[in-house]
Amino acid sequence: MARIELRDVAHSYNGGKDYALKPLNMVWEDGRTYALLGPSGCGKTTMLNIISGLLKPSEGRLLFDGVDVTDSKAEGRNIAQVFQFPVIYSTMTVAQNLAFPLVCRGYPVNEIKQRVDSVAELLGLSELMQYPARRLTADQKQLVSMGRGLVREDVSAILLDEPLTVIDPQMKFELRRKLKQINREFGITMVFVTHDQTEAMTFAEEVVVMKDGEIMQRGAPQDLFERPGNTFVGYFIGSPPMNFLSAEVAEGKLSCPNTKFSVPADNLGGKGEIQIGFRPEFVELVDPEKANFATARIEKVDNLGVETIVTLTLPGNLTVRAKTTTRFHQDAGDVVGLSVSDDRIQLYSNGQRIGQANEMA
Amino acid sequence: MYRDKYFFLLPGLVVLIAIIIFPLLFTIRVSFSSWDVFQPGLDYIGGRNFARVFEDTRFWESLLRLSVLSVSSVLLQYVIGFALALAVWREIRFRRFFRVLFLVPMMTTPVVMSVIWRTIFHESLGPANDILQAIGLGTVPWLSTGTAAFISVLIVEVWQWTPFMFLLLLAGLVSLPREPYLAAAIDGAGPIRTFLQVTFPLMAPITIGAIIIRLIEASKIMETVYVMTSGGPGTATETSSYYIYIRGLRDFQIGYSAALSLTYLVIMIISLTIIAKVLARMLLPREG
Repeated sequence: MARIELRDVAHSYNGGKDYALKPLNMVWEDGRTYALLGPSGCGKTTMLNIISGLLKPSEGRLLFDGVDVTDSKAEGRNIAQVFQFPVIYSTMTVAQNLAFPLVCRGYPVNEIKQRVDSVAELLGLSELMQYPARRLTADQKQLVSMGRGLVREDVSAILLDEPLTVIDPQMKFELRRKLKQINREFGITMVFVTHDQTEAMTFAEEVVVMKDGEIMQRGAPQDLFERPGNTFVGYFIGSPPMNFLSAEVAEGKLSCPNTKFSVPADNLGGKGEIQIGFRPEFVELVDPEKANFATARIEKVDNLGVETIVTLTLPGNLTVRAKTTTRFHQDAGDVVGLSVSDDRIQLYSNGQRIGQANEMA
Repeated sequence: MYRDKYFFLLPGLVVLIAIIIFPLLFTIRVSFSSWDVFQPGLDYIGGRNFARVFEDTRFWESLLRLSVLSVSSVLLQYVIGFALALAVWREIRFRRFFRVLFLVPMMTTPVVMSVIWRTIFHESLGPANDILQAIGLGTVPWLSTGTAAFISVLIVEVWQWTPFMFLLLLAGLVSLPREPYLAAAIDGAGPIRTFLQVTFPLMAPITIGAIIIRLIEASKIMETVYVMTSGGPGTATETSSYYIYIRGLRDFQIGYSAALSLTYLVIMIISLTIIAKVLARMLLPREG
């Protein structure tokens, strides 16, 4: 177990022409669960491989509990890493697979047996110990991959690189639960790379959103959802993405054309292009007369079972999406009113969050 | 309208019949005749040629010699080829140069190379003995004693065909997934463990393919024997194909050599099938 610190770490695969990971400082606190979230090619896997020692960063230092480990190899770091595709040693049984990291490190036989048994118990693999590993199903194989990480009791952190991609949806839930349980029981730091936002939001205590080798925002899932730090996070987190409308400042007021939105804004002059953003989840569909935000025509109604996504067209051809869990009876072409509470409206200037509508007064 | 398809298949069928089906059927017919240099013609003598094959110890000896030669040369080729492929698999300096260099023997004509090797192994003029003498090991009668001649042929075979093995195995190595290696590094496996537990199992299907292809090819060995030793001294390096060649094209016992060829064909099909099955059982994980 360790506190992992990245100090001015950057990485380039082609000698400094492009950076896969731009210089950054970051601390992974001991015993917490993190999710690294971002589109493909944003540097998530690069960051993970740097931490595990499979990749040496072209710049910066890496510290485990304050000790510089930048130059030590993967096997010296006590990191466990689970990959997107389950890796098993196909010639061995499940028990031999689980024992492999300990055998490589020359542990005594009875200690190996004891640790392997306890890890197998934890992961529910006890029944399959003498089974050839190649005959397991994909999710069992992935459990074995994880088990090989857990079997070393001194493991500093478990890095999971999209480990649930090949797993069936029902099993995904089960495995996530198991991972959280392991985290609680042993206090092992876990970093979970994914591009599935629900996975990130449900698994991690803290989510790190990355884009183009940079960290866009870091925070609790709730924060990322309710107060995205920039428009990218707003788009990337949440489905459907956050609604953004451009706003203008005039006569000490910030208002949004074609809507009733207007808040006092004395200090917003000259802040560049201003946008307001609000989550589809926070849009209430009401009678046109009672609406505090705007009236709109329904463009499309997508019923997703539990929830309904309504695509609306505002005057001036602006599109807004609303997500509602209540039963929805109106159809495309109907006119409805939109209400959004001021404390749910975020303000952005040049893509960066500058505040919340109710704080402007 | 579906009958049109035969029209399009015709060119292929004609070629197939002309180069495979007809010669095979004709060989079968000839093997039941006494066609030789004195009495050319397709008479019918029943199974007498085949009866003679079973009593022909020289043929069975050549077959045994061939099996020893092909199995040992293919195994050597596999080991050396795998070692070379592993050596140039990862990033090393001049990798491209080495890869091309290793392929040179395969691209040369076997007859020409056999002539050169015969010169190298020449007892009084060849450089092989000069070098052995210079380092104080004395001379070796490369081509004039049975065992030495057999080993000479083996050396040339290995030299000529290791590159092919190298090429197949390198192609296999390059296509292996990366994750198992990363996992092995994290699990703390050293290079030997990584090879035994990761590389070798992953390479098993390619290994089987490469060995079978090479065994089939190695069984047809002809040029090397013909040029270097002509099967000699005595019959010490005479392989099946070379013996069949002697019977058929030097003695002109066409009927008898046809019977030899068919016997050889049947034995090869059976033994290679068994070898392929055994290799698969040994190396491939059984599913289910």
